[in-house]
Amino acid sequence: EISAPWTFHNLQELRHSASLANKVFLQRDYSDGTTCRFQTKFPSELESRIERPLFEDTVKRLNIYYAEAEKMGGQSYLEGCLACATAYLIFLCMETRYEKVLKKIGRYIQEQNEKIYAPRGLLITDPIERGMRVIEISIYEDRGSSGSCSGSSSTSGSSAR
Amino acid sequence: MPNSVGKRFKPTKYIPVSTAATLLVGSTTLFFVFTCPWLTKAISPGVPLYNGVVFLFVLANFSMATFMDPGVFPRAEEDEDKDDDFRAPLYKNVEIKGIQVRMKWCATCHFYRPPRCSHCSVCDNCVEDFDHHCPWVNNCIGRRNYRYFFLFLLSLSIHMVGVFSFGLLFVLHHMERLGTLHTTITLVVMCIAGLFFIPVMGLTGFHMVLVARGRTTNEQVTGKFRGGVNPFTQGCCGNIKYVLCAPLVPRYTGVDPRKKPPVSIQPPFIRPDISDRQISIKVSDNGIHTSILRSKSKISLDGLALDDKGLDTQPPLPPKADRYNQLKSQLTSSKGNSLTGKTHPSTPAMYKYRPSFGTIPKVHYNAAGEKIVMPDDHHKASAILEEGRCHVDYRSEPNLDLPDYHNAPLHRTFQSSPLQLDSYLINSRSLSLKQAHQRRDKGQLPTLQPETATSTPYKSVFSPNTLSNRNGSLSYDSLLNPSISPATEAECMAHPGMPFMGFHTPYLPTKMCHVRGPELQSQRQQVPPSFSPMLGSRGIGMSMSRQSPRDRDPSPVRYDNLSKTIMASIQERKEMEEKEKLLLHHGGHSQAQAYNQAQDSGMFDSPGGYGLPPSACYPDGPRGPSSKGPTPPAYGGSRDNLMGVVSYGPRTPVLRSSGGSSLVRAPRTSSSSLHTDSSMQGGRASEPSYRSPAHQPHHSPAMPQSPSYTHQKLSFIHALERTDSPRLGGPREAMMQSKVNGQTDCHLGPNSSSAQGNPLSPSRHSNVKKVTGVGGTTYEISV
Repeated sequence: EISAPWTFHNLQELRHSASLANKVFLQRDYSDGTTCRFQTKFPSELESRIERPLFEDTVKRLNIYYAEAEKMGGQSYLEGCLACATAYLIFLCMETRYEKVLKKIGRYIQEQNEKIYAPRGLLITDPIERGMRVIEISIYEDRGSSGSCSGSSSTSGSSAR
Repeated sequence: MPNSVGKRFKPTKYIPVSTAATLLVGSTTLFFVFTCPWLTKAISPGVPLYNGVVFLFVLANFSMATFMDPGVFPRAEEDEDKDDDFRAPLYKNVEIKGIQVRMKWCATCHFYRPPRCSHCSVCDNCVEDFDHHCPWVNNCIGRRNYRYFFLFLLSLSIHMVGVFSFGLLFVLHHMERLGTLHTTITLVVMCIAGLFFIPVMGLTGFHMVLVARGRTTNEQVTGKFRGGVNPFTQGCCGNIKYVLCAPLVPRYTGVDPRKKPPVSIQPPFIRPDISDRQISIKVSDNGIHTSILRSKSKISLDGLALDDKGLDTQPPLPPKADRYNQLKSQLTSSKGNSLTGKTHPSTPAMYKYRPSFGTIPKVHYNAAGEKIVMPDDHHKASAILEEGRCHVDYRSEPNLDLPDYHNAPLHRTFQSSPLQLDSYLINSRSLSLKQAHQRRDKGQLPTLQPETATSTPYKSVFSPNTLSNRNGSLSYDSLLNPSISPATEAECMAHPGMPFMGFHTPYLPTKMCHVRGPELQSQRQQVPPSFSPMLGSRGIGMSMSRQSPRDRDPSPVRYDNLSKTIMASIQERKEMEEKEKLLLHHGGHSQAQAYNQAQDSGMFDSPGGYGLPPSACYPDGPRGPSSKGPTPPAYGGSRDNLMGVVSYGPRTPVLRSSGGSSLVRAPRTSSSSLHTDSSMQGGRASEPSYRSPAHQPHHSPAMPQSPSYTHQKLSFIHALERTDSPRLGGPREAMMQSKVNGQTDCHLGPNSSSAQGNPLSPSRHSNVKKVTGVGGTTYEISV
């Protein structure tokens, strides 16, 4: 939960003092095949919302994570063999490497949202929710007079979710 | 048949998979029950073990292939496709490893299918790395479960081979008792195995080839890479490795929101610092003003949510002006300070002439006369001031935005030529009068005429110069009419000679105007063309070209604010410009020649200058010189001559401003006269003008209108001024006398667009109240 300037008693509260204004979609970069990569092109809509280096850093980091997840190496081979040997029953108990990296990505995105994007009125959606096709960035605008301190609990759905 | 409320229960689609499952499990079970005991005894216990393992493998893969999500893409949300749904093309190309691959828009799923993705009609889903829809497993085979499907095929083949072999062994050993139960069942199992052996083996072999090639069934069947290169292949070994050893990708559908704590979004939001961006943009080069505008507009839009137009029109101007100022100062300093200096001095003078113009509202010649009164420094100073003013005017008046842009380039080009500044000043003055539209009409002229008259006479004087200095005069024009960007532009362009005019003797314009009155009138229409050559060329090929389009674009916006009359004048000006362009191509040279004739000195290589007006104008300073390459030298000479006419310098700007086009022509003639008769050159042109205020009215409508262009950015004004070219002689004289920047402007006009640019830039600063002349001299003009 983000510690906001105003004290929140209900951590699950989502202060909707901001309203969703727009969404930017970062498309995949297929220049190197179907491996998961996202374009690092800086969208024009974000020019006034976030500094370019921050944004590029986030996207590049995500690309690195995805490359790590999809890497075909010893670990993935062993995993496959083990799964085969156990008639894939191993999948019931063990988490694949890809899943582990995806969780790491999810944590990274959450952290980025909390630290960098939410203070700027932006929210990054985990690409896995979009089928790994796009990175969705929601842009919020200040609604103006905000009853931000109101205790009404708005649905968290943190807009992006 | 059970009927589900939701989806329709289609039993038919389960028949293949049921059959396959039944056959597989059933047969194998029978095999194990009836055949394996004997095999265990007869051969070894390893047989059932082996078969058991294989069977287990088959089952596992079969289950995975059947129940695993193949890689279904969830439907795109509405937000994602709102731009694409209606206007999106059917295909989108993407380059993969250098090969163009087409991505098709999926109407069902609302996104462009990633490469290798296809929509399965049975499952009604887009599947990643779609291979095919297998009825035997009742599932699509895609990225996630292709491996299992392939292994299933492999293992099934092996299993079938094994079952058939061991069955055969059993039967051979029990040939004498074929009718027994065990034997019979074994035979049945063998038949089943044998029956499905061919298709399964065939499919297995097929997929083995696909795996080796790195293709999907879909791609193979549709022949996508039949003749070409497969961008997805990683080599035979790489492909096999990819199929067998790639990590299992988690599914996309049914993804829970990870149960993350929601992130609260609360304003105030941190915004990045955009000032730097603006600044950086501004720092860019000549074309910057456009880019600045864009960036600024963008920024402003983002940050302020202002109207685009407003932003574009307004805010950009200031930066542009600043830049021009900077540029001008740089240019002036770099180029020929002397020149700019000359122009600058003229601008103030011209500036002074403004009032004089006012005194001679009806006849520009009169104004010219007044101009004469104030030649010399005033011209330059005024010219410079005008430039600046023009600049300012443009800013202050949204309508003039166009002019700004026009001016901007003009300024740049005109910086080099003081005359240009003059013209600008003249223009600005006229613009400031905001009676530009009035100027157009004779009636209006009176108000503007003083300015235009003075300017035009000068312009006429400098006609030759103006021609050559078309760029230069333009700069003056821009100077004069900073506010009236379009008008000024036209004027500036039209008045390359105008600047010179400014420096010509006041009398000259009148004379020239007088002489040319009728001509000018008729030429009024032509004049614009004549100027337009400059302008046109500017707009067309020259650096100005940039501006001309620009000028036009904003003008519609800006002009909205203007009164109808002004709008009309602007329209006229545009028409004139177009005509000028036409003339430029056709008669521009002729005009130039005319100017040449007017100019003894031939300094004003007007033909060239006019030909180059755009370049001469030097939307950017540097360009001017290049474009005016041939002309500058000419102007240099002319400038010298003009110098003699320094006195008329102040006038020149006025003239230029007034009759841009007309001045252009006039100056040529006048300039020559100037040279010949410094005092009377202007007078020659101006005499008629002076002599016959009646004429002037003719011209003045044309010319004074040029002053009007101060706020009307009338190309006509320029044209008019040009018609006043006779007056240019005056201005030229003035220039020569004053040796002000006007001279430099004059010759800069057409030639030294760059020079003109310099003066222009200062004028641009004018809104800042500081105008740097062509020669680098800085004049402080209070607009």
